[in-house]
Amino acid sequence: MKRSDAWIRRGAALCLALGLMTTGASAMHIAEGYLPRTWAFGWMAVCVPFVAAGFFSIRRKVGRYPKAKMLLAMCGAFAFVLSALKIPSVSGSCSRPTGVGLGAILFGPTATTVLGLIVLLFQALLLTHGGITTLGANVFSMAIVGPFVSWGVYVLLKKAGCRPALAVFCAAALGDLMTYVTTSVELGVVYGNIGSYLAIFAVTQIPLAIAEGLLTVVVYNVLEKYSKAELQELSVL
Amino acid sequence: MGTDRYAYASRLRRVEAVPKLWLTLGALILCISCGSAAVGLVTLALMGALTVGLGGQRAATLVRFLRLPLAFLAVGCLPIVFRPLPAGEGALWAAEVFGRFRWGVTAEYLRVGLTVFCKALGAVSAMYFLSLNPPMTDLTQALERLHVPKLLVELMELIYRFLFVFSDTARRIRVAQESRLGYQTAGRGLRSLGELASSLFLRAWRQADRSYTALESRGYTGALNTLPATRTPGRWLYGVLAAVAAVQILTWMAERSWLQ
Repeated sequence: MKRSDAWIRRGAALCLALGLMTTGASAMHIAEGYLPRTWAFGWMAVCVPFVAAGFFSIRRKVGRYPKAKMLLAMCGAFAFVLSALKIPSVSGSCSRPTGVGLGAILFGPTATTVLGLIVLLFQALLLTHGGITTLGANVFSMAIVGPFVSWGVYVLLKKAGCRPALAVFCAAALGDLMTYVTTSVELGVVYGNIGSYLAIFAVTQIPLAIAEGLLTVVVYNVLEKYSKAELQELSVL
Repeated sequence: MGTDRYAYASRLRRVEAVPKLWLTLGALILCISCGSAAVGLVTLALMGALTVGLGGQRAATLVRFLRLPLAFLAVGCLPIVFRPLPAGEGALWAAEVFGRFRWGVTAEYLRVGLTVFCKALGAVSAMYFLSLNPPMTDLTQALERLHVPKLLVELMELIYRFLFVFSDTARRIRVAQESRLGYQTAGRGLRSLGELASSLFLRAWRQADRSYTALESRGYTGALNTLPATRTPGRWLYGVLAAVAAVQILTWMAERSWLQ
């Protein structure tokens, strides 16, 4: 624990350095009604193949292994609660973890897409984060791009023989960051001025992406230490 | 949790959720399709009035929820209004950034920004009709009636059930950690949060395990069947939908003819 402590402290110092510009990065879901009709439905159409693929893969798994349904529901609820927790950020502004990295590493990207769709719908209706017409755009950035990037980075780095902690950190931080970059691009292609959106939503997110990476490493370490059996069962999913 | 608490107190609680869903979707789609500020404001007023008048929510509740997306809308509209300008273009206000780039506000983009802002507020208020009126369990049953795949609906119902269990667990762990100064510094806070998340995961896992055992011992074969509660059909809400749509379209036409 001593070494990871020092690591976290160094990371926190870095967050402090970068965190000074973190002021407006509290919003990660595109609010209801912000996108015009063509783009709203366009993003929904883009999501359909991914969600369908995820749905069929879940259905196959549930058919083979009935307990999978319960476990997946549990994972979805966990993702919702995780995304409602506040990351203590140094600059005073709290932000919420996207949880995409952890989700993709634990459950794989296709299952994460379907769970992400349900969680985002609940967040829109219960917590008023995001919306119904912008669900497609939000699913694309948070439940498709983020998880696939995280999962790809994790698998690649593990293949390359990196330490697991480093692979988890890079996967979670890059997944978080790419989620915000996608959100900025989604907004930028509609209203122009992509650079400003990137500056507001993505650059300010860098320290928070680092914080989420560190957080995911802590979670991963604890899980690996105390719940080997569960993680092995999870790899069946 | 969130809006659900108010939905259970809604006066429309005993009414079927399907018409409420169509009413919301109709108003939403018309609001974002027209792309006009006036339609947005009219939708805001109409759907707000329906939530307060028909649903019996207090106006203060609605206003409190309407304030939530304002942060995103304000930040999100900033790059629309304030943007780089080509040299020599007329602007309401402009300044040189770093001595080289000219940034400013033009009348045209101010109009676009205002339209987006009003439109989004209208859409948010339409969505709140769905958030603040049918409880989530009614909504999942409505989705099932609309032929959303059974597996997806069951996942939604299970996730919704687990949400409350886990957020309660998370809240209690958080209180315990905070009372032991677990969030005193940012570094310690990160570690505490990591431990919270991982033990939450473990508890969630065991909960799922136990629920599955409990289901199996009661003859679970892969389907969770529940009886729907009795609801009145509420077809009159389609009339309300038609009225709202008519006012929206009339506003849109009036705005267009007035602009010309």
